[in-house]
Amino acid sequence: MSQTCVRTSIGTGIHLTTISDPKFKHNLLSINFVLPLDRDRASDNAVVPHILRMGCRSFPDITSLNTRLQELYGANLDASVYKFGGYQVLELSIRGVDNRYALEKEDITAQCARLLAQIALDPKLDGNGLFYETDTALQRRFIQDAIEAEINEKRSYAISQCLQTMCQGEPVAVKTYGYPETAAAITPASATAAYRNMLKNAPIEIVFTGAGDAQAAGKILADAFAGLERTPFAYQPVKLGPAPASVREKTEEMEIAQGKLVLGLRCQGLETPRQIGAARLFSALYGGTPFSKLFRNVREKLSLCYYCASRFDSATHLMLVDSGIEMCNKQKAQDEILHQLECVKNGDFTDQEIAETKLLMRSSLITTTDSPSATEGWYMAQILRGQMVSPQEDADLLDTITREEIIQAANAARLDTIYFLKGKEEAQ
Amino acid sequence: MKEVIRSQRLGEQYQKILHPSGLTILLYPMEGFKSAYALFATNYGSVDASFKTDKDEDFVTVPAGIAHFLEHKLFESEDGDAFERYAKTGANANAFTSFDKTAYLFSCTDHFKESIEILLDFVTHPYFTPQTVKKEQGIIGQEIRMYDDNPDWRVYFNLLGALYHVNPVRIDIAGTVESIAQIDADLLYRCYHTFYNLHNMTLAVAGNFDPDVVLDAADRILKPAPKQELTRKVADEPDTVRTTLVEQTLPVAIPLFQIGFKGKAGKTERENLWGKTADEVLLEIIAGDSTPLYRRLLEAELINQTFEGEAMANRDYSLTFYSGESRDPKRVRDEIATEILRLRSEGIDPQLFDRVKKAVYGRYLGAYGRPEALAGLMVTAQFADVDAYEILEMLASLTLEQLNQRLPVSFDVERCALSIVRS
Repeated sequence: MSQTCVRTSIGTGIHLTTISDPKFKHNLLSINFVLPLDRDRASDNAVVPHILRMGCRSFPDITSLNTRLQELYGANLDASVYKFGGYQVLELSIRGVDNRYALEKEDITAQCARLLAQIALDPKLDGNGLFYETDTALQRRFIQDAIEAEINEKRSYAISQCLQTMCQGEPVAVKTYGYPETAAAITPASATAAYRNMLKNAPIEIVFTGAGDAQAAGKILADAFAGLERTPFAYQPVKLGPAPASVREKTEEMEIAQGKLVLGLRCQGLETPRQIGAARLFSALYGGTPFSKLFRNVREKLSLCYYCASRFDSATHLMLVDSGIEMCNKQKAQDEILHQLECVKNGDFTDQEIAETKLLMRSSLITTTDSPSATEGWYMAQILRGQMVSPQEDADLLDTITREEIIQAANAARLDTIYFLKGKEEAQ
Repeated sequence: MKEVIRSQRLGEQYQKILHPSGLTILLYPMEGFKSAYALFATNYGSVDASFKTDKDEDFVTVPAGIAHFLEHKLFESEDGDAFERYAKTGANANAFTSFDKTAYLFSCTDHFKESIEILLDFVTHPYFTPQTVKKEQGIIGQEIRMYDDNPDWRVYFNLLGALYHVNPVRIDIAGTVESIAQIDADLLYRCYHTFYNLHNMTLAVAGNFDPDVVLDAADRILKPAPKQELTRKVADEPDTVRTTLVEQTLPVAIPLFQIGFKGKAGKTERENLWGKTADEVLLEIIAGDSTPLYRRLLEAELINQTFEGEAMANRDYSLTFYSGESRDPKRVRDEIATEILRLRSEGIDPQLFDRVKKAVYGRYLGAYGRPEALAGLMVTAQFADVDAYEILEMLASLTLEQLNQRLPVSFDVERCALSIVRS
């Protein structure tokens, strides 16, 4: 009763990964197009899945398409864009209930797979072979709105601003949806060109997760993608440059009640899965759990905040620490965050803290296998990291990491940027 | 007392036990799953601001935010906090407070026995001192400030404040910096002893675990709770909305809006649960993403993909709302009102009804496939005095006639309010 994961090549630069698990009640099928992050192209790329989500030749408008999805027991058809290291991943996915819950014995899974293939490969195009102006205009507006709406969520906005400051000029700094000027420049011609480029040059990862017939669903997608002429680029995980000689500081003002402090660090020289595992453990022990150094001290002991957490990104080896605080407590919080970092670097933590952090990480890792979307996310991240281990194997690796390795990882972390989003003077 | 609850539709079952301590225990082992999820919940939330037991002479009214404050404080005991105890088992622990319940939870893949013991133990052993209460005021103060800056949260509570005159659902779950300043250890103990009586609580566990381990831990840890009669003061809420429009200025890109309709609460929580299910179908029928209205609004750039509908009902309130981003929220409201009036005069299209029902059924099924969702569903059902499968059956048995009757009750354009957050 465990999961079986199989990855096969089904075309030039096209892979199908199937994760079969009989316990799931749903099947999730996703197509992921991987493109390098490029400042000038990010908006055109990002708009593509959203335009495709508006309809295809068989279901040419949003009403007929969504009606079809309702007939498929409310299947979820999603278009999304996300960043992984220096890459922009365009994802189209469909999630439907497994055939065993169909009320009239319909083959929902195969129908979902067919619909997803049509959405990806058979879009509605005008007489010139371009996306329609109306669909393009709507989705251009959506991309513009999404870029502007970044300020709505102050916590994620502050994190994003810290990353921008920290990685200026590096591909990882390019924003998921691009920039106001690149979004405004989206036209049917530019979006269609991005679509054609994606089909021709992007490595394509198709992932099936669920209880249903993975082979049958995989074959539908494989057949659909068979005729494409492709010259995909060779995918390489990105490497980032070193931290600057002196720490960058940036402060911005906004009309807000709570200040947001973000510290950006670079963990340098991590090469092997073990070293990366050690960095993940270090980050969790430092600020990733409710018994971490930061939670215990900055929140519970000093009562300075509701959250103070650190996150390590395996794709970029960047670590971000963030906290929401009273404006006047900025220095106090920053000092304590950095003091706790020194403590970890100096090995000022117990074997019990290591064991407990490992135990919690193991539990979280194994729990991913209980949800189709978490499982899919796990394996997509594995593929993009250029490895293929199960959550269980990953937990086993973490278990073998030593105190010395954690201290080494902590000492590889260099403070790069301190970003503070504070309230405007008159608002305080 | 043990009962097995079965669903023919899903081919599944779970156990319901009325434990001698007074606690209701719901156990749903799930084959093939690696994790277990436990939820220990009390039927007590932010709306329970005024209450009395058979031992009290009169109603007491407590400061806003106290249920949530209590949730934070229960994690602490004389010898350390619960997170530190969970650290030894590897469980992922948390808690939340909503309008009508407070729940303590963990998810784990190993050491289930130790984790369930911690859960049952710390929730039944309160420990508050003036010092620990003061410390928490700092932390929760920052939680409140965080929400003050959150436009989604503000647009939502501004809507509730517009729809309701006095019902406590209009007040933020965490209270205000001023209201939590009035909280002290004595008040916390009073609320605790009133609402954390095991007769008022439910433990639900789903996923990978052995039911006997839970029952054994309950036998050892839980002491029989005294029977008590609990009366919650029902807010004297007028039928009308307090105001039809509320606007707030915050740094946002495109204005956020919520268009709410004040419904009529049922006489029982079961009735409210049924009503919420019916309202979810109605939300899709009026402006769901397969309707002509949705397409019109989208193509006119009056809404974008963030547009969605939601229904809520508990205790003594019932409401529905649409939320999204728009440069002209008032026009969105007017278009929705026009569509409601059209549906009222022309009736709901039977084909659309069938399709929406099928889609909502597919969506509901998802909740029966994940331990955390299932545990939550069991608790919600239990507090409404139904079993977990009945929610699916309520949906399956909905008729077109019922919905045509429900429409003017839940979507009364005279009892509509619009909340906008713009910069």
